[in-house]
Amino acid sequence: MTRAGRRVGWLAIAALFVWSAWATEVSLERGIEGIPFVLEFLRRMVPPDPSVLGHALRGAAQTLQIAVVGTAIAALLALPLGFLAARNVSPPWLFYVARSLLNVFRAVDTLVYALIFVAAVGLGPFPGVLAVVAYTATVLAKLYSEAVEAIDPGPVEAVAAAGATRLQLLRWGVLPQLMPQFLSFTLYRFETNIRAAAILGFVGAGGIGFYIQTYLRLLNYPAASTVLLVLIALVMVVDFASSRLRARLV
Amino acid sequence: MIRVRGLRKLYPGGTIGLDGVDFEVGAGEIVALIGPSGAGKSTLLRCLNGLVAPTEGEVIVGGATVSGAAPRELRRIRASIGFVFQQFNLLRRLSVLENVLVGRLAHMPVARSLLALFPAADVARAQATLERVGLGELGDRRVDTLSGGQQQRVAIARALVQGPTLLLADEPMASLDPALAHTVLTLLRRISEEDGLTVMTSLHVLELARLYGRRVLGLRAGRLVYDGPPDGLTDAVAERIFAGRAA
Repeated sequence: MTRAGRRVGWLAIAALFVWSAWATEVSLERGIEGIPFVLEFLRRMVPPDPSVLGHALRGAAQTLQIAVVGTAIAALLALPLGFLAARNVSPPWLFYVARSLLNVFRAVDTLVYALIFVAAVGLGPFPGVLAVVAYTATVLAKLYSEAVEAIDPGPVEAVAAAGATRLQLLRWGVLPQLMPQFLSFTLYRFETNIRAAAILGFVGAGGIGFYIQTYLRLLNYPAASTVLLVLIALVMVVDFASSRLRARLV
Repeated sequence: MIRVRGLRKLYPGGTIGLDGVDFEVGAGEIVALIGPSGAGKSTLLRCLNGLVAPTEGEVIVGGATVSGAAPRELRRIRASIGFVFQQFNLLRRLSVLENVLVGRLAHMPVARSLLALFPAADVARAQATLERVGLGELGDRRVDTLSGGQQQRVAIARALVQGPTLLLADEPMASLDPALAHTVLTLLRRISEEDGLTVMTSLHVLELARLYGRRVLGLRAGRLVYDGPPDGLTDAVAERIFAGRAA
């Protein structure tokens, strides 16, 4: 890129920022004025109300369950999709169809899917699972397909040279190269899905988010703070366990 | 063992891989294939086991026609031909033993192989082959923890465990240092003598061809320009093969 081109690029970014900040009414003054209210909010949350711990734990368990089932089903669906969307495996026309579909479905986030599925199948954790599946399957398929495209053709050629069938080629030439990456991507999405599933309750799709929203609406801040603490603990435990596992996969 | 007639390979885009190659190799021969890079050595070796489909010509290995063979027939032929690659082409995250067992895939029921339920006889054979290349103790190790020389011996074991009648090697020492190159070539020659195995290996170092080949094929720009004993590889002949490049 030329010097002039770079300068125009930076100017465009600056213009975009100013336009956005103006339109969103960003104001340092109003931010500072809000600080006492935030502090008051935090003060009312202390001490947390331990009597709602049971609800909080039940909600956290359901959030975990939604993330587990949703991620697992999504991973199974993403496996064939990932191969269909890989340039080096899929026929060109199929590759373009698969990639385009993945891009379309990936454009919508889990929470929006949850709104759609709550309308379709009613309230509860099940629409939450469907929402996690819909978004995660497409994201994982994209990640899987990129891993398939980065595969080393050498070992595959070697397995073919030993007289292997196509299925054996997939099992012993392709899969061993992909499995650690697939598992790593899937665990990473599982971590993200815990966070996504935590807010599904806002739209009636199950999990801990239901309690957060309910207690905040009732202005019951001590109860809300108990639920939030449980959520933070859940996220931290899952992140820690998952990242330990992922480190061992590399 | 090998009969090649009028072999031509034209790659898409017009690159000439092979431009009319004819030769025969008898059972038990050790043949070194030499030539500058891009001369068609890899293409020739890959035509012999059908990894590359020739544009024209005929390839017969052990009485079976490789060129134009149907997939099932091609797999049967490949099962009887071992192939050793320059970059080893091992599955780096799998164990040494699992990599060697890949060489038995064509000999075992597909369903069992997919579940990694290898027949005991195949496991025993893989272990015995590992001992033969001096890696009997390393079966459980992950391949990526091994040195380059050890990895190439795993690759040789994978080729040998097939029970091949022909062993093809594509610059098997190009990724190794000179001392290791001699170890690997000595191993190949010993195995060839013990099993009466036919070996054809491409080499990028002329000296190695002089030392280890019983017969040398010189390839240049897709054509065979030398076929004779290593003694015949005079400087003038080398000049003709490598065309003014340092040999």
